[in-house]
Amino acid sequence: MPDYDFKDAKTLDYKRPEMENGYTDQTLYINLSDPQIAIKPVAEKTKKTFIGGKGYDLWLLWNAVQPSTRWNDPENALCIAAGPLGGTPIYPGSGKSIVATLSPTTASVIDSNVGGYFGPYLKFAGFDALEIQGKTTAEMVVFIDGVNQKIQLFETSGLPENAYELSAILTEHFAQGKPRNISVVSTGPGAKNTLIGCLNFTWYDSKRKRARYKQAGRGGVGSVFADKGLKAVVACWNNVTADTNKPADKARLKNVAKQHSREIVELDPKQNEMAKIGTTHLVTIMNDHDLLPTHNFRYGQHTQAPNLGQEVYRRMFDPGFDGCWMGCTVACSHGIKDFVPLTGPYKGKKVFVDGPEYETIAGCGSNLGIFDPHTVAEMNFYSDAYGLDTISVGTGIAFVMECFEMGLIDQSHTGGLDLHFGNRDAALEIVHQMAAGEGFGQIVGQGVRRMKALFAKDFGADATIMQDIGMEAKGLEFSEYMTKESLAQQGGYGLALKGPQHDEAWLIFLDMVHNFMPTFEQKAEALHWFPMFRTWFGLCGLCKLPWNDIIPEDNKDTAEPAKVLKHVRWYADYFSAITGNEVDPDDLIKMSESVYNFQRIFNLRMGFGRRQHDDLPYRAVGPVTETEYESRAERYDKQLAEIYKADIDGKSTAEKLTQLRKQREEQYEKLKDAVYKRRGWTPDGIPTHKTVKRLGIDFDEVVELLRANGVNS
Amino acid sequence: MIQVAGKQMAWHEGMTVSDLLDELKDPHPYAVVRINQQYVTRPNFEHTFVPDDADVFLIPMIAGG
Ligand code: SF4
Repeated sequence: MPDYDFKDAKTLDYKRPEMENGYTDQTLYINLSDPQIAIKPVAEKTKKTFIGGKGYDLWLLWNAVQPSTRWNDPENALCIAAGPLGGTPIYPGSGKSIVATLSPTTASVIDSNVGGYFGPYLKFAGFDALEIQGKTTAEMVVFIDGVNQKIQLFETSGLPENAYELSAILTEHFAQGKPRNISVVSTGPGAKNTLIGCLNFTWYDSKRKRARYKQAGRGGVGSVFADKGLKAVVACWNNVTADTNKPADKARLKNVAKQHSREIVELDPKQNEMAKIGTTHLVTIMNDHDLLPTHNFRYGQHTQAPNLGQEVYRRMFDPGFDGCWMGCTVACSHGIKDFVPLTGPYKGKKVFVDGPEYETIAGCGSNLGIFDPHTVAEMNFYSDAYGLDTISVGTGIAFVMECFEMGLIDQSHTGGLDLHFGNRDAALEIVHQMAAGEGFGQIVGQGVRRMKALFAKDFGADATIMQDIGMEAKGLEFSEYMTKESLAQQGGYGLALKGPQHDEAWLIFLDMVHNFMPTFEQKAEALHWFPMFRTWFGLCGLCKLPWNDIIPEDNKDTAEPAKVLKHVRWYADYFSAITGNEVDPDDLIKMSESVYNFQRIFNLRMGFGRRQHDDLPYRAVGPVTETEYESRAERYDKQLAEIYKADIDGKSTAEKLTQLRKQREEQYEKLKDAVYKRRGWTPDGIPTHKTVKRLGIDFDEVVELLRANGVNS
Repeated sequence: MIQVAGKQMAWHEGMTVSDLLDELKDPHPYAVVRINQQYVTRPNFEHTFVPDDADVFLIPMIAGG
């Protein structure tokens, strides 16, 4: 007999609506405080303006919170949505869910996209989005049973703390012999005890007979989930076919889906072999271009980087089909079977590791000066099981390691941990401490922004240098690419709405390697189009990898290869086929523009969303220390002399460092000007009245907010 | 003989990736090529030799994240 207990707290029987053209036109509302379950219709205007996915999340959240709401207030809402195209099993990459909430680390809106079956199952159960408000002191499991048309809230006890076991147990508990019908969203003890918690979304791996998971990692979404008292949210659905989404034109859908799917099968083996090695190929490629962060983003290259490269993980990954949604021919979600951790509660036991992906390898490996693939896999395993975001874990530990090496903190602050770069045991120990909410790990789990303030106040550390080397912006830790030599990607990170995550724009190669956009205007154009197009995936419930990680063979001969316009046209076709709304590629950009600008205004409403909030730590812009400068002296000297026409003869490194900094910081400010102009924003980074009117988001509240912030035209 | 993007191409002793791209007369600014299972990036094009019988894939663009 299992030693866990489920007690009914609330049940709602409902009638599932007919799916129509990718939509159910209703959302599910749950309040945990005084358990309440309700179903809300989606207004036609909402559908037209916000499309679905992240758009729906933002609208629900906007209406749930006030400018004074904090992440751990009961009224903060955690929203999860698929999108109109989500759940299509024949088009690659069509199973993403988008999570949005107020973040504990940024205090504003955060969104995070994730694979797994949950979003599609939620929709097929009858709901375009889920909104959870309130808080409970009990442990609560929400069960959305689309098959039996029932929503149940259970108070539970005795369930395991960590997501690894919890996902398996809940899958079995609710599956009634059909585990593929279940998707579990849960987190772990790390999310409860830190502010950088992630959510694990499961998908069922029929061949390996286990619940696997993907992570919605960024901005502490898991910490909000844990703070609400949620143990898990489970969705149940059966039988997914191309008809389940009720496409408007099935023949057209099949035609476009077949083309994209076949192209991937044919070209992936010739290109990056993602079906075999996932995103691990990026490690050595980034390293060769000086873009792989090492030692807290000081450098972009290390001689030992190949130890973390694709050849190593090719051997470690368990071969087989690894699609995190049904029918995804990219199938890049690999894992390691029979992995034996050397530390922690699973020490000496065989476990399955979901991952690692590039970000985890760079964040928990090279950026910590750790070039051991086993340690990276172990950090990956425990971060997931404890419900911690591997990117914030990596970037956070990298920061404290540099503080330690600089003497800003010492062993009296770290509880005796020797935090020199490369110390594998210490890195793992911090992860275990985060889960337990103990020791120095508990401090690291507050995120880089809070650590900077705390180290200055309590340890007397130099706040200025920490501002330069603490790799966060808007309160979010940087994801794992070096940006020093790509002004466009500095914008890609600095101007991203939620903080420095590469899902809005990844322009490094375009800018740095290909030099495709030498002027500010060209960079600004790229920083308009790419974030808009990438936003569109989040509105529709799609994964962006099939768009530009496998590329048509003739793409290089097209006018704008980086946009992969053949695929953009396919996506317009796909959208038209499902929804019945005839759109062209430009329409996709317009859809995103409304939601994108709305999110910027949401930031403004929460007290952010201005020019000053788009600032970057200088480490992202150029060399902070003399050692960094000297390591690439030829490059920097040349730039000073040739581009900035500076007289560097006889100048010391310190003098050149100052000169370079002045120039680079000026460039970044000029980039902001160009991008704001292109996006239709004021010089302070606020969308103008004209822009919101053009985009149809000139709701009374929005106009009032702009006026209150001095924007009248 | 080597295979480049599925087509046969003559091979010669001492051929580097840069030579290969020159001889191909393909103006696209590749950042990465793959030789068998080995990635070679632009900083290494000039000093990486292409072995005979190699299967070479030209990777048109690295999309990143
Ligand atoms: S491309 Fe990879 S991450 Fe995206 S849906 Fe497919 S398997 Fe999942």
